[in-house]
Amino acid sequence: MYCGIDLGSRHVKIVLAEGNQITGFHKYDTVEFYKRYGYKEDDKLVVDFRGLGLPDIQPGSGGDRLVTTGYGRNTIKIRGGEDIPEIKAHALGAAWQTGLQDFTLLDLGGQDSKVVLIRNGRVTDFQTNDKCAAGSGRYLENMAAVLGISLEELGGCRKNPVDLNATCAIFGESELIGKIIEGSPVEELAAGVNYTIYKRVKPMLLQLAGPVLVFTGGVAQNRALGELLEDELQVEVVVPRYPQYNGAIGCCIYGGI
Amino acid sequence: MDNRVGITTTVPIEVVYAAGVTPVDLNNVFITADNPQDMVEEAELAGYPRNICAWIKGIYTTVVRNSDIRRVIAVTQGDCSNTHALMETLHLEGVDIIPFAYPFDRDRDMLKLQIEKLMQAFGVGWDEVNKTKKTFDKVRAIIRQIDELTWQENRVRGFDNHLWQVSCSDFNGDPGKFAAEAAAFLDRARNAPAIGIPVRLGYIGVPPIMTDLYDYLESKGARVVFNETQRQFSMPFDTDNIVEQYSLYTYPYDIFRRLEDIAREKERRGLHGIIHYAQSFCYRQIQDLIIRRQLKVPVLTIEGDRPLYLDARTKMRIDAFIEMLK
Repeated sequence: MYCGIDLGSRHVKIVLAEGNQITGFHKYDTVEFYKRYGYKEDDKLVVDFRGLGLPDIQPGSGGDRLVTTGYGRNTIKIRGGEDIPEIKAHALGAAWQTGLQDFTLLDLGGQDSKVVLIRNGRVTDFQTNDKCAAGSGRYLENMAAVLGISLEELGGCRKNPVDLNATCAIFGESELIGKIIEGSPVEELAAGVNYTIYKRVKPMLLQLAGPVLVFTGGVAQNRALGELLEDELQVEVVVPRYPQYNGAIGCCIYGGI
Repeated sequence: MDNRVGITTTVPIEVVYAAGVTPVDLNNVFITADNPQDMVEEAELAGYPRNICAWIKGIYTTVVRNSDIRRVIAVTQGDCSNTHALMETLHLEGVDIIPFAYPFDRDRDMLKLQIEKLMQAFGVGWDEVNKTKKTFDKVRAIIRQIDELTWQENRVRGFDNHLWQVSCSDFNGDPGKFAAEAAAFLDRARNAPAIGIPVRLGYIGVPPIMTDLYDYLESKGARVVFNETQRQFSMPFDTDNIVEQYSLYTYPYDIFRRLEDIAREKERRGLHGIIHYAQSFCYRQIQDLIIRRQLKVPVLTIEGDRPLYLDARTKMRIDAFIEMLK
């Protein structure tokens, strides 16, 4: 069995595979995952797979292959797992999910924004956000909460975006509250929030632009943002079937499925 | 006359030593202190803004804490404009400031005048300065050999290459002792086994505020065989003329001459990629766009704010970069 784990900042994603077939997708809240289903043993994290409701993965001598990626891998290694860089995992996952060899990848996760240029299936250049996570999923969650709407509702809004200018994601909340007081409709405010994400990632995308943009990560579920990217950049935007599991799928590909 | 004078970056130390005064590179004192993070915070408590370069804040606290440093040579042109306000805040603490300016257009007459003004401040003449330069040429020749062993024979680690060259800004306060230690290191390095790390990197930009960068790179299968600015600190130029020497020195002048040096060394040293380090809030971050456009080699730009260790995000980006180069 192959097990790919993407240790994200908001969710831990686990993809299981056998032979060359993916057999399961599982998602856990990151804090819950570490608190309830992991314990530290000799500087390694031991994962309670049974507790997670998964088959008992036995890496190494047990014959299973465990590959991990994600923000968490730099802090603690999972026992029996091989860890690979996020960008590699996402590139592998996106190429496998789309069947494409030449494309620009945009991955927007809980805190990450990554843009990767793939040529002939290989990473040839990349850019990521560094010191600030304002253009990421966590920002969208906060703003949806301020507006009192779900992420799905937020992702449906793109017409007449209200101009939002705060550089800081937290100050952005008070800016949004100010606009609510001024009487802007929620849909237009939500469109403004989506447009803010676009403005954040635009400089990175322009550096590594190509005719096809594969959009992954939890934020790729935001339909309005996908449409915005397509219209503003005049590119074909491809959202694979499992955008949020892309990194974990890439781990399984690396593992050998 | 006080025996020690602080310097904010590389200046013609031949003048200082010729006067029997010991230069102290304040950056080195700051970054090798027991807790440099505390020093940054101390400057912030004094009123330095959060969004200002940590090196500036570290230098401020270094001078405030070291009561024996009552004079500082400040590079007011050719380094950064934050230095101006740094000097003003130190002046407020009773420190004497000796300004030194590298002329933007590398004008030799202006540079000569600046060196002469420095000589006047220290009460020395050309004979003593030129004699000191000749002595230092021999010290720098040893450092040049350490650099050659790094990239030609792969016997010196990236961090050691960094440390020996960066220390040339003040020769650790004792050129004779420094030369002896460097010669001993060189002897050991000549007999050291070759380092078998495949990916060869160049490091450009100001020296890093994170001290674990070189070790981390090596743990991931990449090695720095070119430290751009640190090498410049070692004055790797064949000239008998001190004005010429400080005009060939690339760091304080425009980016384009730096790029010529980087491109030349990239070819000579067979670099696979370059790490461009930019300090948070530094104007040199803007130059990244020129570097990326002009250098025909993969570039990873990393940003450091506070000392002393790489953060998880930077590690993630380094991992991906090395993976890409393999």
